Amino acid sequence: MTNTMIEASNLTKTFDDVHALRDVSLSVGKGQVAGLLGHNGAGKTTLVNILSTMLPPTSGTATVAGFDVVSQGHEVRRRIGLTGQFASVDEQLSGTDNLVLIARLLGASKPAAKRRAGELLDVFDLAEAAGRSAKTYSGGMRRRLDLAASLVGQPDVIFLDEPTTGLDPVSRLGLWEVIEQLVGEGTTVLLTTQYLDEADRLADSITVLAEGEVVASGTAAELKADVGQRAVHLTLTQPTHRPEATRALRAAGLQPAHGGAAGAITTPVGVSTDLAVVVRALDEAAIEVAEIALTEPTLDDVYLALAKGTPTAA
Amino acid sequence: MTTTLMSPETERTTTEPRDWRGSGTATQLLVLTGRSLRALINEPRLVVLSLLQPLIMLVLFSQVFSSIAQTDSFPPGVSYINYLMPAILVTTGIGAAMQSGIGLVTDMKNGMLGRFRSLPIKSWSVLLARSLADLVRTSVQLTILLVTAVVLFGFSPSGGIGGVLTALALALMVSWALSWVFLAIGSWLRNAESMQQVGFLAMFPLMFASSAYVPLDGLPVWLRAVATVNPLTYAVDASRNLALAMPVGTGVLSAVAASAALLAVGAFAAVRGFRKPL
Ligand SMILES: Nc1ncnc2c1ncn2[C@@H]1O[C@H](COP(=O)(O)OP(=O)(O)OP(=O)(O)O)[C@@H](O)[C@H]1O
Ligand SMILES: [Mg+2]
Repeated sequence: MTNTMIEASNLTKTFDDVHALRDVSLSVGKGQVAGLLGHNGAGKTTLVNILSTMLPPTSGTATVAGFDVVSQGHEVRRRIGLTGQFASVDEQLSGTDNLVLIARLLGASKPAAKRRAGELLDVFDLAEAAGRSAKTYSGGMRRRLDLAASLVGQPDVIFLDEPTTGLDPVSRLGLWEVIEQLVGEGTTVLLTTQYLDEADRLADSITVLAEGEVVASGTAAELKADVGQRAVHLTLTQPTHRPEATRALRAAGLQPAHGGAAGAITTPVGVSTDLAVVVRALDEAAIEVAEIALTEPTLDDVYLALAKGTPTAA
Repeated sequence: MTTTLMSPETERTTTEPRDWRGSGTATQLLVLTGRSLRALINEPRLVVLSLLQPLIMLVLFSQVFSSIAQTDSFPPGVSYINYLMPAILVTTGIGAAMQSGIGLVTDMKNGMLGRFRSLPIKSWSVLLARSLADLVRTSVQLTILLVTAVVLFGFSPSGGIGGVLTALALALMVSWALSWVFLAIGSWLRNAESMQQVGFLAMFPLMFASSAYVPLDGLPVWLRAVATVNPLTYAVDASRNLALAMPVGTGVLSAVAASAALLAVGAFAAVRGFRKPL
């Protein structure tokens, strides 16, 4: 029980006639990263807002760190950090003062608040701009300041709504490292993203929302296995060896097919150790291979199959 | 955690960000008020700009209307600037109160209120801090106005320093009470433009259909009727009578009572509106 940091049961949210969430359930263990995927308007922000106590659900319940988000909102807020979809920084204040403000409101003494602000500004590569007022910051700098602000108190649970939107590749990578480090220290993270590589790299579990409903959930690998297939693509040194190669692979229990180019063969495989089967079969038949590659289905495939329209799996 | 055995680090537990899980109400008020004031210090232009309107009013009215002092309805022996200035204090204070609501709406727009709501702090301390910061700002404004009036326009009412300071205090009280009304409007309307419109629509008739610039007897009958029920008239009269050392009667008492009522209603509505999800 204490290990479940985020638990949502049958959450529903209705705005007038819009069903933003329908019967959404979700569970995230301590030190886990949960990724929330879905197209625009799928309900990601609504879910984050309910879990971070910003919005009451129409029905259903949710707990964060063991506290009910509706009846124990204050206890929840003591333990969470939130970076909303849109940056929230005080433009009139400098980067340092923005972070000191949050730290002081969380109960830090002035010197401790200053120290923490300095640390975070370093982590987010804002040290040089620390003294300037935030209205002189670029969009990505604001975003980083915003992210830093939600980490000031080292919260137990962090909600990040599209955290890397608008960040350059270096800053994205930097943020990923920060998240991985936090998770290593036991922080639980719920993040929404439009970037599938981000979910793939960071998330232990992924939930795909479409029109307010959970249409798929599981690990990235599980989702991929549901949707696409692994395949080995190979090109023979001698294109004329293709019939022999095909025969050898069939004998090894695979279903090879001719690829587009001369001497190209594609064969779907199950587990990745099947790559070794392919190599061994060709080696025993003494067929030389110029190129060989194992392709995985990407989360893009998952996303395209699930998020856009017809829910496939149960 | 890191085990540091060095003695200066014994206070480490309290400086560990993991232990920062909330602050007391006093700290919240102090920090949030300081934050709003810091914005003014960083941007003193705003204070100067907000002084322009009352200064222009002071110049225009004292020049254009100074002959009113010669009319029959005017209190004898009082110069127009001495008559005008207490009213300017009150009306400027009211204009400043509107800024409270605008400040709140600005914080909604730039996401700071969202940030505050996600922190373990009391929602009313955000509102109270905003109104306190604006009270400080208004005090600075009104003091600058007073000094300008004394130095440049020869403002020297018979109430002396004591009378002027009580008039100032009264104007600040009215301003503070009204700032809660505007905080309430802001937290329900959540839009700076419509706030400003509602503010001006309400303020202009109130300002002119009152005893602020001319004695009530000098007004057309219908306007006098409006002015007699206009609460601003009472605030202006009370402030003026204090400054001019004239009999105040129940003026101060009713101004205090009206302010308390505005404050109570405004604070209640503001907190209610503030709690609505953004
Ligand atoms: N305050 C609101 N009032 C009315 N409808 C709303 C409100 N907030 C969200 N919605 C609706 O709820 C649905 C889900 O919105 P939400 O912001 O959760 O989507 P999202 O998945 O975060 O989208 P995006 O990727 O564009 O950020 C949308 O149809 C949206 O129009
Ligand atoms: Mg969103």
